[in-house]
Amino acid sequence: MNKKIIAILMVALVAFASGVFAQEKVTLNVLNYADATQAGYSDEVALWAKFQADNPDITIVKEELNNEPFHQKVATYVAAGQMPDVFYSWPGGRSTAVQKKHLAKDLSKLLPKDLLALWPAAALNPKAQDSGYLSELPRAITYTSVMYTNVKLLKDNGLAIPKTYAELKRMVPKLKAKGIIPVAMANKDTWVMQSCLFSTISGRIAGDAFIDQVLAGKAKFTDKPFVAALTFVDTLYKDGVISRDSIQTPYGDVPGIFASGKAAFLIDGDWRQAAFLTDKTSGTALISPAAQKSDFALVEFPAIPGEKNPGLISAVLGTGMSISAAIPAGSAKAKAAVKLLTWWYGKEWTTMGLETGAYIPARKDIKSDKVEPFTTMMSAYYASVPKTGYVLDGVLDAAVCTPLNDGLQQIGLGTKTPAAVASDMQAAFDTWKAAQK
Amino acid sequence: MARKRPLGTEEGRAYWTMVLPAFVIYMVVMAFPILLSIVLSVSNYNGGKMFGGEQWTVIGFQPYARLGIDPAFWMALRNNLFIVFISVFGQIPLGFILAYLISRRLVKFPDFWQTVIYIPNIISVVVVGILWQTIFSPYGPLSEIFNKLYQANFHSHLAAIFQSFGQFDIKNVPDSLAQKIVNLAGPTAASNFSNPVADLKDLMQSYDANQSGMLVNDLTNLLAPKWSMDFLNHRETAMLPVLFVILWMYTGLYLIMFLANLEKIDVQIIEAARIDGASEGQVMRHIILPSLSGVIVNLAILAISGSLNSFALIYAMTGGGPARITEVLSIYMYDKAFMNGAFDYPLANAVAMVMVVISFILIGITKAFEKKFGGKE
Repeated sequence: MNKKIIAILMVALVAFASGVFAQEKVTLNVLNYADATQAGYSDEVALWAKFQADNPDITIVKEELNNEPFHQKVATYVAAGQMPDVFYSWPGGRSTAVQKKHLAKDLSKLLPKDLLALWPAAALNPKAQDSGYLSELPRAITYTSVMYTNVKLLKDNGLAIPKTYAELKRMVPKLKAKGIIPVAMANKDTWVMQSCLFSTISGRIAGDAFIDQVLAGKAKFTDKPFVAALTFVDTLYKDGVISRDSIQTPYGDVPGIFASGKAAFLIDGDWRQAAFLTDKTSGTALISPAAQKSDFALVEFPAIPGEKNPGLISAVLGTGMSISAAIPAGSAKAKAAVKLLTWWYGKEWTTMGLETGAYIPARKDIKSDKVEPFTTMMSAYYASVPKTGYVLDGVLDAAVCTPLNDGLQQIGLGTKTPAAVASDMQAAFDTWKAAQK
Repeated sequence: MARKRPLGTEEGRAYWTMVLPAFVIYMVVMAFPILLSIVLSVSNYNGGKMFGGEQWTVIGFQPYARLGIDPAFWMALRNNLFIVFISVFGQIPLGFILAYLISRRLVKFPDFWQTVIYIPNIISVVVVGILWQTIFSPYGPLSEIFNKLYQANFHSHLAAIFQSFGQFDIKNVPDSLAQKIVNLAGPTAASNFSNPVADLKDLMQSYDANQSGMLVNDLTNLLAPKWSMDFLNHRETAMLPVLFVILWMYTGLYLIMFLANLEKIDVQIIEAARIDGASEGQVMRHIILPSLSGVIVNLAILAISGSLNSFALIYAMTGGGPARITEVLSIYMYDKAFMNGAFDYPLANAVAMVMVVISFILIGITKAFEKKFGGKE
């Protein structure tokens, strides 16, 4: 009898103890990428608060940065070799070091299978990430080149959306005569031209297969197709389609320029649509939903002379959240991190992303009727693109991409020829390739 | 020669008790990072845990060799030397002259001028950088003002040309009119049209007869010369605005330092010299400058080290662009260390070492000058 009582007491004690441990708080350090000035930020803040309230056993210590400060912070974390427990990341590009050093866990082994099944196969392709595994689950496929078009402005000046480059070029004097910038771009940051336009031009004229051949050492950047793509950028500046002033225009300036009707077109990534949407806290929008619908269109860059891939637009796997590889497998912290990510990729968060226009989710089951016209138009834009191609900073090492980014500015300034830029890239590529052996 | 202080003696123990904490702090906070930077500059370390992480080894002077063949490095070095030059030969002489004028009461309202000149120093460098970036922006106030002036001038000339042709059929613009407008526009016409006269005629003929006012305004928009900050895009001149802002911002600092030291010079000596018939120039050359030679050297050292470290102002103002033509060594180093996702710590540390060596050389030259030409305070 005594033994039975002792056994029961022991079981109760173990149950109590495990209960106590289950109640033990886990702290997760999160490095989030967020722009507090972006419409929809308040929704994001509210959802983080909700997760915290629903999960009292997890304490979220969140650090939020965006643009360069974010990347700089990541760089210092990488230098220290200690990433935050959960962090926002790219599949390559600016997160190359994080990915190549395998500082993130493989999410394909951690996230629930039924959740992963909601993503298209392209988003789950491990080879599309620099790590070679699913170090982050892309929440979207990012189209890096969209031509935001002020249709009303064109119409008021007797113009229509151009189908060919020649048509676009013909518009330039008419628009300039009205004091309108034909195509706004913020080329002060060197990545913008490369990511938001040149990758598309290169894809259309040279093609991804050509880039693959260069990477395999079977072709060179100095070959005709790639130099032709660079030459087209020179043409854009010489024709006045893109002003040389754009090289002094900061990235933050262009939404205002475009929304205020000072430019007929804006070339930027799909993420830029969020800058124009309604901010729920203030109820204001750079472009009102009614105007989005009636006065604007999202179109692809017109047909380029000599293109062999008509309609191609550069696209890349989007961003997502990663879990630090340093968290011990199976630990309470690892479980908490998985719980956080399962929620972050869940329906509620992803729907919020869609409704605030932050991104068009790759997750297949997300639908909403609370989206603004630009978001609906962006989905239609994706559907209209016949073929996607490489975003060059996603496939080229930074050592090769830097002379490209700088070179595109130098072409714009007229201080370097397209052939010289191609030559610089090839030299950088040869050096980089030799260092890999 | 330094005295020996054996640890066994009371003097020795007292000595080490007082010196050791400072020595340890110095070694940990100053010497260790410098030594580590030297080691990293000749290594293949590329981030991560330094001990127990990825293996890294000393590979020799490869990073320095890579620096040597990178044109961007030489451009950054050249820009840094420009800044050193404007600091030593711009800020210090200007600061001294202004301080002299104020301290000798050669200007009215000396306190006002002292405050005005010093004010840029109390504003955050990032704010100053953004402020001047906005001023120099193609959509900034400077461009706006100049373009309005150009446009007004062009508009009046264009209106005169239209007037000289009197009434004409807008759907059949005379070649001579188009030619006159093209001549007035000069290079702007060539940059807008591949065949200026014919294209301009086409454009003009798209207007209606009752839109002549609009036509003149539109042609002004299209063809008036644009005042653009084109010099910001040329490697020979892009640093000029940066140098101007540096001069504008930091001259006040040297002014204050010179003022403080000028106050220390005995006024009676100056007065005596003046009574003996010395001119203001002679007072400056024979009394004030020799008295301040040590201060000038110290300020030059400060200016050199500050110039080589200059980062925030230029980063906020130009980000080193366009196409790196305003990059300085610290931005180049930062770019290699933290940008583009792939971090090159050996190269970044090699840059840091180069900056230290250049600092020592320039400071050595300054000291040598002071030894040869300086007076006694």
